[in-house]
Amino acid sequence: MDVEAKRIMALSISKLYSLRTQRGGLKLHRSLLLSMTMRAARDIYHTAQLLRDAEEEQVVPCAPDAAPEEPMEISKDSPQTLTPKEVAMKPQEPKETLEEDKENRCASERHSRKRRGKTALETDFLPLKKAKMETDEEKQHLQGEVLRTNNGNSCRQAETLTAFPTNRTIVAC
Amino acid sequence: CLSGIATVTKEGGGNDVQWCFSQVKGAIDDDVAEADIISTVEFNHSGELLATGDKGGRVVIFQQETENKSQPQCRSEYNVYSTFQSHEPEFDYLKSLEIEEKINKIRWLPQKNAAQFLLSTNDKTIKLWKISERDKRPEGYNLKEEDGRYRDAATITTLRVPVFRPMDLMVEASPRRVFANGHTYHINSISVNSDNETYLSADDLRINLWHLEITDRSFNVVDIKPANMEELTEVITAAEFHPHQCNTFVYSSSKGTIRLCDMRASALCDKHSKLFEEPEDPSNRSFFSEIISSISDVKFSHNGRYMMTRDYLSVKIWDLNMENRPVETYQVHEYLRSKLCSLYENDCIFDKFECCWNGNDSVVMTGSYNNFFRMLDRSQRRDVTLEASRESCKPRQVLKPRRVCAGGKRKKDEISVDSLDFNKKILHTAWHPQENIIAVATTNNLYIFQEKVN
Repeated sequence: MDVEAKRIMALSISKLYSLRTQRGGLKLHRSLLLSMTMRAARDIYHTAQLLRDAEEEQVVPCAPDAAPEEPMEISKDSPQTLTPKEVAMKPQEPKETLEEDKENRCASERHSRKRRGKTALETDFLPLKKAKMETDEEKQHLQGEVLRTNNGNSCRQAETLTAFPTNRTIVAC
Repeated sequence: CLSGIATVTKEGGGNDVQWCFSQVKGAIDDDVAEADIISTVEFNHSGELLATGDKGGRVVIFQQETENKSQPQCRSEYNVYSTFQSHEPEFDYLKSLEIEEKINKIRWLPQKNAAQFLLSTNDKTIKLWKISERDKRPEGYNLKEEDGRYRDAATITTLRVPVFRPMDLMVEASPRRVFANGHTYHINSISVNSDNETYLSADDLRINLWHLEITDRSFNVVDIKPANMEELTEVITAAEFHPHQCNTFVYSSSKGTIRLCDMRASALCDKHSKLFEEPEDPSNRSFFSEIISSISDVKFSHNGRYMMTRDYLSVKIWDLNMENRPVETYQVHEYLRSKLCSLYENDCIFDKFECCWNGNDSVVMTGSYNNFFRMLDRSQRRDVTLEASRESCKPRQVLKPRRVCAGGKRKKDEISVDSLDFNKKILHTAWHPQENIIAVATTNNLYIFQEKVN
């Protein structure tokens, strides 16, 4: 089920990406439907991962010589960085990453004590820089008339990224 | 009282009507030029004229020839009456966006005088076209020759009165009004009001009311744009005026709801008068539930008592007096439900099928894939699948019902779901307002079918 979810998620993202190059301007209806499907797939995928992580955590205490959690290392390597709010809902948010400022990154490291080695690799289908760019420009299109006043590098940018359509809808669920 | 899902009892559609091939318009070539893709089909109010719009921004109007009395077997044909370029591609420099010339919708105005009028729209601009006939021209000017050259004044010795002389029929199309800059988002519908003075245009988030005479102003009557676009959850997908009540219109949404609005209630119709919504069947929930519940078309019945909606897999008939569920639901191609993931991959799941009523509201029609189209007989609870194909193009050849095999053993003459050609889709169909004549658009061909005459 989560393999399917992951596939649909990747498919949706690539479709959203290709929408921008289509003639006639961004189709709002299509991009809305794609976003919704992508989010639905992502929910399933993350739920499945949460379950898997929960199972793994239960397994760990049985192996006494297993290395203690290495949150600092793993988090540094991990492509995901999290705001404290997000950790509660879903530990991995491939989209809302890169532009998190250092403050947030430190906060997430403190929280993300779960072992993430394997799962981090699994998200390699989502090229991170691409995801960021896509989020940015999607927002530009969706907002239409809103003039962008920064070039995307300020802290404020990070704020709006995490507030990308997904979060509120998911929390509501 | 009609309710529930219509089941197939026996084949047939349209009150025992047998459909036969009449004509096909368009190139036979399999290599379809993108500009030739038909994007809208519409009969005028008398059915005498049939208009098509294409992706290249052209409008082609066909006229029904008056029947040949000496040969009653020879059904009246539709021949090209007028062709004109309605919209050209444009470029919005401010947003760095190209505006497609594709004709999204054509709507005819009821005829008031000798000329015919229609509204055609692309994503951003609506135009009112006047189509008029000229069959005589003035001759015998004093200062000009017949070819237009000016005569040498010295050679003019007499005066004469110019007279009208007959000429070969010429059909002229001229743009009488251009309704521009009314929409930020893409226009998906236009609908002429029964008052014959106003019309509405709808884009993804807004609906505007225009007066046919006034191009520099329109009234916004529906606005569902959220203050924060990140909170956007649904868009407007279609809108239509009630056929008789000039104060009433409906609009459908991507969430599968229909809102009926009364313009007498307030200037801004953000609050609906009625909300038509059917609760979702939880057993059918999937990743694609949102997409397939999005309504692609909404049409009032001619009598104004019902409306029909089309979503990806079904057609629903709603009684305007009952909001909580449709009175009839017809499955168009239920065998596709298990294929939604593939249809998502190849983008077919986003196809917007239209639907239409016959003249007396007893049968509805909608398109499907593989150049199939479906006739759903409401009164007799029967449905039939027919095909628009070059192989059934002999004059007056009766169309044979087609069957799709959903699974298991395929019977003879059945086609399996996996053999369906999803590139051959019938999105646009139209039914003559009075007679059993239908126009079915495949990708770049227009098929005209008529009732079999014995």
